[in-house]
Amino acid sequence: MTMDYLEKYRDGRVNTAKTLWVMKPIYLILRLFNKTVVHRPVTILYPYEKLWMPDNYRGRPALAFNACIGCGMCARMCPTTAIVLVECPDDEGKPVKRPQVNMGRCSFCGYCAEYCPTDAMTMSPIVELAEYTRADLIYGPRRLAYDHTTDGMKIDIEETLLSDYQAGNGERRINPAKTDRPVLDNAKCISCKKCFKSCPVQAITMEEHGKNAKGRPILWPSVDDQKCVSCYTCVDVCPKSALHMNEVL
Amino acid sequence: MVYSSILDWVNFPNIMANPYYPFETYNLPYDISQKLWEIIGGTIAWLINLLFPGNPVSEWLVCDMTVNFFALIIFMIVVFLVVFIGILISLWEERKVLGRTMDRRGTMVGMKGFLQCVADGFKTFMKEDTQPRKVDRMTYMWTVSLVIGTSMLIACMIPLSDRWYVVNYNTGLLLIMGLFALAPFFILVSGWSQNNKYSLIGGMRAAEMMISYEIPMLILIATACLMAGTFNIGGIVQAQYDTMPYFIPQCIGFVTFFVCANAEAERTPFDLAEAESELVEGWQTEYAGMKWGLIMLADYMRGYVSCAMITILYLGGWNLPFIGDLNNYVPELVFLLKTWLVFFAMIIVRAALPRVRTDQILNLGWKVFMPLSIINLVIVLLLKMGGVF
Amino acid sequence: MMADDNSEQTKTAGQMPAMKPVVDVAAETAKMETDKMWVIMGPQHPFSHGLWTLKIKVDGEIVTDAEPIVGYLHRGWEKEAENRPYPKIIPMADRLCYAASMTYTHLYCMTVEKALGIDPPDKAKYIMIIADEINRLQSHLMWLAAVGTDLGNFTVFLWAMREREYWMDMNVRLCGARMTTNYPRIGGVRNDTPELFDRDIIRCTEHFEKAVWDIIGLIDDSSIYVSRMKNTGILTPEQCANLGITGPALRGTGVDFDLRRDDPYSNYDQIDFDVPVLKQGDSYARYMVRVEEMLQSCKIIKQAMAKVRALGKNAPYRLKVPSNVPAGRHFAKLEDPRGESMMYLISDGTDKPYRLKVRSPIFVNVSASRELCMGCRIADVPAIMAMIDMCLGETDR
Repeated sequence: MTMDYLEKYRDGRVNTAKTLWVMKPIYLILRLFNKTVVHRPVTILYPYEKLWMPDNYRGRPALAFNACIGCGMCARMCPTTAIVLVECPDDEGKPVKRPQVNMGRCSFCGYCAEYCPTDAMTMSPIVELAEYTRADLIYGPRRLAYDHTTDGMKIDIEETLLSDYQAGNGERRINPAKTDRPVLDNAKCISCKKCFKSCPVQAITMEEHGKNAKGRPILWPSVDDQKCVSCYTCVDVCPKSALHMNEVL
Repeated sequence: MVYSSILDWVNFPNIMANPYYPFETYNLPYDISQKLWEIIGGTIAWLINLLFPGNPVSEWLVCDMTVNFFALIIFMIVVFLVVFIGILISLWEERKVLGRTMDRRGTMVGMKGFLQCVADGFKTFMKEDTQPRKVDRMTYMWTVSLVIGTSMLIACMIPLSDRWYVVNYNTGLLLIMGLFALAPFFILVSGWSQNNKYSLIGGMRAAEMMISYEIPMLILIATACLMAGTFNIGGIVQAQYDTMPYFIPQCIGFVTFFVCANAEAERTPFDLAEAESELVEGWQTEYAGMKWGLIMLADYMRGYVSCAMITILYLGGWNLPFIGDLNNYVPELVFLLKTWLVFFAMIIVRAALPRVRTDQILNLGWKVFMPLSIINLVIVLLLKMGGVF
Repeated sequence: MMADDNSEQTKTAGQMPAMKPVVDVAAETAKMETDKMWVIMGPQHPFSHGLWTLKIKVDGEIVTDAEPIVGYLHRGWEKEAENRPYPKIIPMADRLCYAASMTYTHLYCMTVEKALGIDPPDKAKYIMIIADEINRLQSHLMWLAAVGTDLGNFTVFLWAMREREYWMDMNVRLCGARMTTNYPRIGGVRNDTPELFDRDIIRCTEHFEKAVWDIIGLIDDSSIYVSRMKNTGILTPEQCANLGITGPALRGTGVDFDLRRDDPYSNYDQIDFDVPVLKQGDSYARYMVRVEEMLQSCKIIKQAMAKVRALGKNAPYRLKVPSNVPAGRHFAKLEDPRGESMMYLISDGTDKPYRLKVRSPIFVNVSASRELCMGCRIADVPAIMAMIDMCLGETDR
């Protein structure tokens, strides 16, 4: 491979006397001046003209209120803890938990959109976010809505399992939200039913497995494979850390 | 006499019939200012005459002596305003042209960006005027005022045409050059008075650069006047109209004078004063607010004066070559357009070249440009002795 | 120290030696030697890139000593990394060097992959080569812009930034963000190259290969620039070895070493490219090495894109990795645009690192400022320090 630039200029091969000392820079400037006067400079007249941005441009996070299930995966993955789940009434008036984003802390990394199991969180192309006070920067769940969400704004994880890759079956892609399921350590469970109450998609049912010493039924949670979205809520909420997520590799 | 009918306001007397008329030939700004005073003073006199008929104040307001006096005051304002607007236009030209060479648009707000320059100047005047405690008060104030004052004086003294002048000395060009060359001394003393060792070094460097570049400039001015036979600016322009613009026989001198003018106006690639502020603050450090704004304006005035001198000496002044009698219509505009064209070349040089190091600047000034100006002198001498000019 | 020098200076400045009846000129001049003073190129520069101080000791016009002071941007990065699970550190690694963010994220992912014992798929490695080289171009263009302004010319700044904007558009096409891209993942990359990325990157490369000659023409064809950069700030290979200097500064002194070719990582051994090396060791040699590296990056991008195209759309690009990293000590090295950067990880079997150490090349290179600036004039110091290519994010962490 040739090194064009070094071949031309190494050791002062271009004699400065041949380029008439400073004439080449002046000629280059005049050439660009001619181009910008006859045609147009390369800048755009913002705010009257705006640049086109592709679909996957990462502006502020946007929430589709009715698609969100309140699992809290976005709050868990946010590297700057900008997202907090708050109670707010949904369309019928029932209180539900939805995310609230503090734009002052948001680093626009896209993790909330990537890990959202229902694609309710997307990255919209809005970047004009200036406000006068810090309190105005906190976006509640309704304010996060964006009406022109397209498919290109949704971010999904498409991973290849290690077992597939080593077996030569590299084309299969899975989403971890569909494969990782929580697994119970039976000895630690105290049947408090916290996991059952906190699951956002009601994928946990408590099943009886006999009676304990006091005659009370021993209830252990069983997870419905089809409904579970692998959001780690039950794992976090269990007071005895009896549940852990089984990562399928 | 006091105006009595409406016709008196529009029939202006011949200004040269006034026994106190201060010039020898027709002078356009004086004409304008006398007519302005006739209107203003005449109105005031007529109003007072309505209330108190036949009073002496009205008579005095429109008699020859007071007309001349007030006309001179308005004359100063008219000349200053025209120069000021001309310099603002060259400032605007710099920002737009520099922008386009960098692939952007330059200032855009307010009449294609002109009013933004005015607003920027206004902003600097409104800033707080901080002054360190231990400066030498008198030299601190006086040197800055003198730098600004002499720059403004010579900017106003440059005639824009045969009929737009302030004085018509036979040694006009020497006078302008003399005042132009006073600046290094004031800069040196000003840097010293600021009680700041970095300003002192900056001031010394600026002064030494300007002094070493004035020598080729003086030789070149003397050469051009030698070719024309007179120091009178009108005479030089007429001589170029009779033969040819002097940049053709004196091309070496033209290029050398252009570079020396860049150095005198402290523009890139010779801008030690602004750019030494990376390491050592220049001589303008301790000036804030209005003083700094006026120093910047004085910088542009010196740039304007350099371009005007190039136009007078080398480009034929306020005459265009092949149009003969049409030259009598708006020679002022032709002169200003040529000046702005030379300034355009200075802006292109600023966009293309980086800063030259201090010792390299002095090397160039003494070892390259002074011999070139002497070579130019020799060529002109040969041409003169050979009878060509 | 600075205050003492000042007061000494002002005390002796005004006092003249006592007049003797017979004046001994030699003795008098020997007593009036120029005093050395410390000039502080303070934390607030007009045009400097980053927040740091350089103190230079000046004897008249010549520099005799230099001392850099860094640390104004320290954010406690390494300590913060001990509190986060491994995937959450990737956006933090972006902000280590914000001008070339994907190189540091790539380095971090390589370190954790070594700890896990996982090799990312081929397609991910080639895409990471493209991403690395795009970031190398962005970083070098930012450096070129700084060279122009430090020497007094704004036009080079704006032209280099214009070219950089096109490469940032390539970042947007690939992952959606211009800077701090959050694109590499442990086990591969976040997403596949989008639909028209192939066409766009080849267009961008070809445009750049033509447009860069304009900027080079402004600098290399102008004797003012060349005379200010030549023969200043000379380093020898022995000094580089003693000070630990790596990267373009090392290759400008004649040492032929480049991590991409001599210790290849991430499939660089499948790509054919040249490494520019120059012997002179002055600022101009370091400048020329970086410009040639920019042109070589274009060649690398074209070859890597051809290989990605050959692998097809269905090839895997992201592996699923476990959250808990087995205990051990691992490190990885990478050829950053500024030198050789390294990360060292001590993991303890949980999902958070025990200790994560970053070796930043600039932190080491800037310690050489004393050797670089010794003996030159004050006016040369900006030209020399521009060649170091400071990026404060990685220096101060």
